[in-house]
Amino acid sequence: MSSAEVIAYPLLFLAVFFESFLLVTFLSRPARESRGIRSLQATPRVAIIVPCWNEETTLAGTVESLLALDYPATQLSLILVNDGSTDATPTVVDRYASHPQITALHKENGGKYTAMNLGLAHAHDAEFVGFLDADSYVAPDALKEIIAAFSVPDVMAVTASMSIHEPRTFIQRMQYAEYTFAIMLRHILSSLNGLYVTPGPFSFYRREVFTKLGLFKHAYLAEDMEMAMRIQRAGHQIGNAMRARVYTKGPPTFPKLIKQRVRWTTGFLRNLLFEYRDLIGARHNRVLGSFVLPLAIVAIGGGILLFVVSGIDLIQQGWHAYTLAQVAPLSYAFAWRPFSWFYLPITMIILLGSVVITTTLTWMYLGKNLSRTPGRLVPNVVFYLALYWFVAPIWLIRSLSDVARGVATPWR
Amino acid sequence: MSLFTRNLLIALGISIVLVGTVALAITYLNNTRLENISTIADQIAIDTLSLDTQFSLLETAPCESATSSATLISSLTDLGNRLAYTENQLGSDNSQVVRLKQQYSLLEIRDYLITKQLAAACKTKPVTVLYFYSNAGDCSDCDKAGYALSYLRKTYPSIRVYSFDYNLDLGALKTLIGISKVKDTFPAFIINGTHYYGFTTLEDLEKQFPKGALSTTTQNK
Repeated sequence: MSSAEVIAYPLLFLAVFFESFLLVTFLSRPARESRGIRSLQATPRVAIIVPCWNEETTLAGTVESLLALDYPATQLSLILVNDGSTDATPTVVDRYASHPQITALHKENGGKYTAMNLGLAHAHDAEFVGFLDADSYVAPDALKEIIAAFSVPDVMAVTASMSIHEPRTFIQRMQYAEYTFAIMLRHILSSLNGLYVTPGPFSFYRREVFTKLGLFKHAYLAEDMEMAMRIQRAGHQIGNAMRARVYTKGPPTFPKLIKQRVRWTTGFLRNLLFEYRDLIGARHNRVLGSFVLPLAIVAIGGGILLFVVSGIDLIQQGWHAYTLAQVAPLSYAFAWRPFSWFYLPITMIILLGSVVITTTLTWMYLGKNLSRTPGRLVPNVVFYLALYWFVAPIWLIRSLSDVARGVATPWR
Repeated sequence: MSLFTRNLLIALGISIVLVGTVALAITYLNNTRLENISTIADQIAIDTLSLDTQFSLLETAPCESATSSATLISSLTDLGNRLAYTENQLGSDNSQVVRLKQQYSLLEIRDYLITKQLAAACKTKPVTVLYFYSNAGDCSDCDKAGYALSYLRKTYPSIRVYSFDYNLDLGALKTLIGISKVKDTFPAFIINGTHYYGFTTLEDLEKQFPKGALSTTTQNK
């Protein structure tokens, strides 16, 4: 057995186990009920805060999508916070300053969390407060779906279903498929209160969360994860509104994607390991403490290890094949050989890997359809399968290295 | 029992069943491969015995057996390829693989002897290569040598290549090694009785063959 196989077998078993857990939980009553249509009993006062820094090209679209929300205008206010932008963002913000639903604020640049906190200070009359990144857009019915998900009293935060807005590049298409899987993951894990992040695009909180648990922190540039972990530590629930659709601009290039994911992954690792280590193994939330968080760490470590060992293995095999091909004329290496079932490369790893990939693709299909996310999945899945296996380990390796060396992660 | 614990246990059960099913399917496939090899080996054993018997019956005209001998080497080559693939999949220490390798080596030796007998009786000059390799980690060039021989065998069908694992525990093979005086320096070749050790390039190996042996015609079969 090669060293790659030694690592691959337990990881594959864990992957099969995780996928099976997702399936069982998907079919369990809490997930089934959360997929049901919830009717909105009331329309409480809601404030949506849009922190923005140099978002001149996307901000107007974000605001327009919020103004188009199917929600009583008297109950909905928008707070735009310009966090010391150096482009034309302040002009775009001021253009909306006279709108009756909008509060326009400007401040010195201090980081996203400071902009969010300033917005919170102006949202004192709202029962629910939501946030939307200034490069994201919402579907008209998204807010009603979100507010309906707060019908469970102990749910302190609700996340939406994110997808990539108009994917164009290979990297964005890959992310489109990835996000449809994340939609399912968030839906299923939220049914057992297993979420550890309330993403920037359209996550909502009961206003009392901030009076009880405090305002946003720098949190290693992952204030959304830190707040979610704080809510979980306090023993509350984080829900999910599967049909609340929000579309976000995915990084279009490989370097930008790596930068974003390194920020996310280092933010997760630093918050969890340095600030919220007690959540691992926490008895009050065993789903998160004994399953989700340990598996997330194993996935990072195992993913890196498998990538490195398989990479070395692949290079060695490639070199071996190359040296063999040098021995005889190249035409012999590529000569046609009659097909025989005998030589079909069917191994345990290939079969188990196929099971995991097929299940993941099924989740993507379900995620897209159950959330009613627009777009075409199949062509984007092709990019996902072609790119993800070697793109993801790169940001994982970089993140682990940054955390181990104590390197600060920049926002952009 | 909480919903989480219940779901964990069910998921564990599903995983075990799933992985077990895959393991069973792979075992079944490998067993089918071994059976396939065994069937081919059995057929070759019958063909070898038949050829041997034919040879004895046709003492006055033994060259009638030559055609059957040509078919045999092709079957042996196919068997060798399948065995090498299976050995790669299951490992060289797999007991069934070892047993089939012993059977294969015996068939090779038997065919080699018949070929020599036919050559003497029919006054032909077949090109035979006895190739000895080692899987014990002491032969870095054996893969290249094996690949070069596969190429030569494919390109010049008249060449009869017999591959042997030098370390295989088989009495007949040890006797062959003993009487052929093959040293444990790998890869080792005996090309029409001439010893040659090591592998550098295909061209160097080709130089060891008798003049005119490397032609695409099959007159020396």
